[in-house]
Amino acid sequence: MHLRKTDGVVHPVEALDGCVPLHISIGSVPLSLFIREEALLEPAMRRYREFAHNSENGFPIVLKKREKQTKESGEFSYLLDDAKIVLRSQGAEFHGVRHEYALDSLLRILLTMVLLPQRGFLLHGATVVRDGRAYIFFGRSGAGKSTVASLSPKGSVLTDEISLIRYSNGCWQAHGTPFWGEFRAAGQNRLVPVAGFYLLKQATEERLEILSVKQALRALLPCVLFFASEKSAHETLLRTLLGLIEEIPCHRLYFRRNAEFWKVIAA
Amino acid sequence: MSGEITRNPKLAWREVDGAMVIISPEDSQVHELNEIASLFWKHAEGKTLDQLVERISAEYEVARETARADLEELLAALGEKQLMFVAPEEKG
Repeated sequence: MHLRKTDGVVHPVEALDGCVPLHISIGSVPLSLFIREEALLEPAMRRYREFAHNSENGFPIVLKKREKQTKESGEFSYLLDDAKIVLRSQGAEFHGVRHEYALDSLLRILLTMVLLPQRGFLLHGATVVRDGRAYIFFGRSGAGKSTVASLSPKGSVLTDEISLIRYSNGCWQAHGTPFWGEFRAAGQNRLVPVAGFYLLKQATEERLEILSVKQALRALLPCVLFFASEKSAHETLLRTLLGLIEEIPCHRLYFRRNAEFWKVIAA
Repeated sequence: MSGEITRNPKLAWREVDGAMVIISPEDSQVHELNEIASLFWKHAEGKTLDQLVERISAEYEVARETARADLEELLAALGEKQLMFVAPEEKG
């Protein structure tokens, strides 16, 4: 049985006899995945091997077959193709996950919700580490995130697709994620202080423009992964982004498909 | 239009550099108001159009008809985007 007590309340994760949880940590969020199907467990173990964690008290996520459900008050649910996430304060259920890609997608959705009250969020962006600081190159699909990653030294890329940003230890930090695009890699589970944000714009020259608070907010908002529909969640997101923009410079980076852009960033 | 002007209560918003940035949680649409609309957003809440016409015409020395026409136009534009509206008057 995997019924646990949290603050005196038995959480509603159902019993999964014989199911050994896969403990991982993404963005310093410990998660315990209860995956019964071998066909899914093995790819998940491979996919998240760099994010394995020894905590047994991770936020429980139980993978279940697709079930008809009625929505309970206070819970968040989101349907993605055939798969569905149901999130409650004590744990989550993933329904109808048939392959590792669906698992990956639901994990992203879960993290957006769990990180939100902790001044954290996921952003469509590549994170590259240079001289011990993280540079976030963000933009929508086709903006050049994977291009920037491919032009960066091996081992310096924390993700080419989904950046995880979170305020912790008194500063904004970028975390490595297992969420990758074209550049497919296992990822690195580490965190690095953020140096700046760079909205990618392909051009015929390298140029950097600093964005005003309003411009930065307008640039970041459409690139944040966000699935909540409550007003309070959007207010929290606005507060988080404005707090970040106050502390971290945001730019528009005009760049060609070569590594020359580092020169204007370093200038 | 003598009911109170009210913001759409479903919207999340913040003032950024003197301008209102508003998010509609239902469709994640982001609206950014210009300076005049932002002032209206801040000060019109809970007022009637008549009250605003009086205030604007007194403070800016413009004719009531002009102030009313401008405010109605602004309110219509905000109403079209479902950002603000005139609440129906309570009867009784």
